[in-house]
Amino acid sequence: MGRGGRCDRTTRMSAAAVVLASGSTGLARGQTAFSLAFHICFAVFGVGLPWLLLYTEGRWIRTGDPVWLALTRKWSRAFAVLFAVGAVSGTALSFEFGLLWPAFMARYGGVLGLSFTLEGFAFFAEAIFLGMYLYGWRRLSPRAHWLTLWPIAIAGTLSTLFIITANAWMNVPGHVREVDGKVVSAEPLAPFLSPAAPVQVVHMLLAALMCTGGAVAGIYAVGLLRGRNDDYHHHGLRVGLTVVLACAPLQLVSGDLAARVVGARQPLKLAAMEGLFRTQTGAPLTIGGFYDEASGKVRYGIELPKLLSLLEGFHTDHRITGLDAAPPAERPNALLVHCAFTLMAGLGTALIALAALVAIVALRRRRRGQRPLLPTGRRWLWAAVVTGPAAMLAMLAGWEVTEGGRQPWIVYGRMRVADAVTDGGPGVGWTFAGTVLLYLGLAAALVLILRRMATGGPDPEVPASPPAHPPRDDGSPRDDGSPRDDGSPRDRGSPPDRGSPHEDGPSRRGDGDSEDGSHPAPGGTRPPGAPVPIPAGTGGAR
Amino acid sequence: MTAANLLLVVMVGGLTAYALLAGADFGGGVWDLLARGRDAADQRRLISASLGPVWEANHVWLIFVLVALFSGFSAAFGVIGSTLALPLLAALVGIVLRGSAYVYRAYGGGAAGPDQLWGHVFAVASTITPFALGVTGAALATGDLAENDPTRPLTNPFGLVCGLFAVTVTAFLAAVYLCRDAAALTATEHLVPGLRRRALGGALAAGALAAVLLPLLWSHAPVVAHRFGERSVPFAVASAAGGIAALVLLWRRRFTAARLAAGLAVAGVLWGWAAAQYPDLVVGSATVASSAAPEANLVALLIAIAAGMLVIVPSTVLLFRLFSRPDLTDSHQPPSAVHD
Repeated sequence: MGRGGRCDRTTRMSAAAVVLASGSTGLARGQTAFSLAFHICFAVFGVGLPWLLLYTEGRWIRTGDPVWLALTRKWSRAFAVLFAVGAVSGTALSFEFGLLWPAFMARYGGVLGLSFTLEGFAFFAEAIFLGMYLYGWRRLSPRAHWLTLWPIAIAGTLSTLFIITANAWMNVPGHVREVDGKVVSAEPLAPFLSPAAPVQVVHMLLAALMCTGGAVAGIYAVGLLRGRNDDYHHHGLRVGLTVVLACAPLQLVSGDLAARVVGARQPLKLAAMEGLFRTQTGAPLTIGGFYDEASGKVRYGIELPKLLSLLEGFHTDHRITGLDAAPPAERPNALLVHCAFTLMAGLGTALIALAALVAIVALRRRRRGQRPLLPTGRRWLWAAVVTGPAAMLAMLAGWEVTEGGRQPWIVYGRMRVADAVTDGGPGVGWTFAGTVLLYLGLAAALVLILRRMATGGPDPEVPASPPAHPPRDDGSPRDDGSPRDDGSPRDRGSPPDRGSPHEDGPSRRGDGDSEDGSHPAPGGTRPPGAPVPIPAGTGGAR
Repeated sequence: MTAANLLLVVMVGGLTAYALLAGADFGGGVWDLLARGRDAADQRRLISASLGPVWEANHVWLIFVLVALFSGFSAAFGVIGSTLALPLLAALVGIVLRGSAYVYRAYGGGAAGPDQLWGHVFAVASTITPFALGVTGAALATGDLAENDPTRPLTNPFGLVCGLFAVTVTAFLAAVYLCRDAAALTATEHLVPGLRRRALGGALAAGALAAVLLPLLWSHAPVVAHRFGERSVPFAVASAAGGIAALVLLWRRRFTAARLAAGLAVAGVLWGWAAAQYPDLVVGSATVASSAAPEANLVALLIAIAAGMLVIVPSTVLLFRLFSRPDLTDSHQPPSAVHD
């Protein structure tokens, strides 16, 4: 027993060591994927919302219509929270690159440096002007306040551009000379010169706009479904839905261009996307189904003969590389990548179909002179609700295609994921577990906050919209405002819009917005002794 | 001066900005944690309001330094990533929790748990982060690192005292900055004496810790200590002079001037350390020469940084000017946060 047991244990231990070694890569990949997915779900709003705010606040300035101001206010508050979470999770990511992939960063950090540096500056500009935007409502004239959105929107878009070039270079690296695994010279603009860069950037920017538009449309569609049939909800729905549906067909075009670059530069990724095992001319396009590694076939998929060759090479005899071109260890996981690609393309197609239907209905309603142009029947509203999650899911699936399809490489053809990873041993597992717990906790809290914001309805100064919930009266006793309070005034679960009664200043633009700063103190009900938030602060004039 | 050295100077500049701006934001969290007595609620409100418009911009200085490090000195970043994982993770958790908790408290309206809970998370996270970053900085100087022993940096006495020193310094800065903010408004004037006491105490505590740090530097980081004696004396003198001046100015209630003196005291420490650290990035494992990216990339990086600064510096000045003058009729916050 003794000897047999020891032998058994040895085998088991070596097996465990193997699992651990490969597990280390798996865990690092898992953590990176999880952190990226978490970050990007917030980052898209940092890119998309400023453009929407530019529109809504611009409309308010031109028309003085308080509905537009109410929408702007609401979105800017959501933006504040989303941006902060996106910012800190992005910081975590830039650390994680070094913590989880030290070999990758040590070798290619310099190559990607320009992209990351420029992205850092874009983010810097976004943070600075966001501070002005969020806290400058009364310090800036409405027009100057609106103008601070421009740098935010431009910087957000540029930061996407810069960061995506880094990813594009990992997919299609070039302009870098290496000797014995060390970069000896690199063109500083290498990431920007990657052929994948332009298509990936456009694809992601459109995706960010679609996610933002879809989420906005969804929130107001839910409101309308609950019977809040007012201008506030109609305007919100219109803005969001227009953005997501207008981008959907453009996304098809940019996706097609991206797939062409993939086909030319990363043929195995294309093969995995399509679940194509055999290299062949007249390759079929397979929609749906599950790739079976053992047989090299897609099960339960719909096969359209020769279409893939036609799409990629404009000719049915175009030769498409299959997974069999590489040894099994060098192939991406086609089951996963094909499923993700199908999901993304399917959701995208559904959104395009919805866009077409909505466009037809809107045109018809315009010809008949009906308003609103957008159909607001229950089914239409439900479709609008779904656009947000659909766009988000499609974006995440698209990233799975991009990243999963590059495997086993971290830098395509140059460095394997397994060679880039830290040999942090069991610590990586704990870190991963901790990250998941922390992020899930934060996400849960964030969802609660956003839900409260979303269901809170507009600020009460919008006449057409009665408050969504009866105002709780715990605000008033709190507002006795004795500064000798017990220090816990914040935990009395106050309604989200509790401050809004004071916020009649800027909305009454007709009364003369030039007096914006000289309105009675926003806390008309604020007690004399209560401290007023002071902005100068630790960051003020130093 | 080579491109690598110039980039190092820029990074030290970024680190100084981070310490003086974001450091004070973290310090505000420390005082939030330590707030006691009948003025506690008012202090917390003042701290929260002072962070609002600027903390995110201040935070980006860290990203700037980090990105410059991994772009310009990628090999050193690899070493740091594989040996200093634990303190860096602690700093990260602190950064993530501090930022999230701040906005959850300011905008959450209690939807995700009581604001008080997020206030505590904010305060604790604000304290952890400078401690962890202090430990990290110390480890770069001692070189007391091992790839297979992530807890190593946390067992080094010099590192631990450095962590404590970092927390103390941020708290000192925050108290000095807050003195001026509080004094500017009648509604918060009653907070000034308490904040002034804290600032004076912080200055004395930081000075005492610095006195403890010096002998520890010689015993635990002899390489850096030797260079410190050769190069860093002027910086140390400047720092001490700044500290003493800050004490005097605080005593005489000259709060604006005290800010500058306190900034000089902190910057002197950073610059003295940086001068002594050169040319090592991680003592014993990475030097400037061993880890610098190719020259052409460094030049491109510097050009990008110069171009970026042309946008960032005026914008930052604009931000600080916009929010420098307190105004009682201002809300500065979106509707829901007015009462926070």
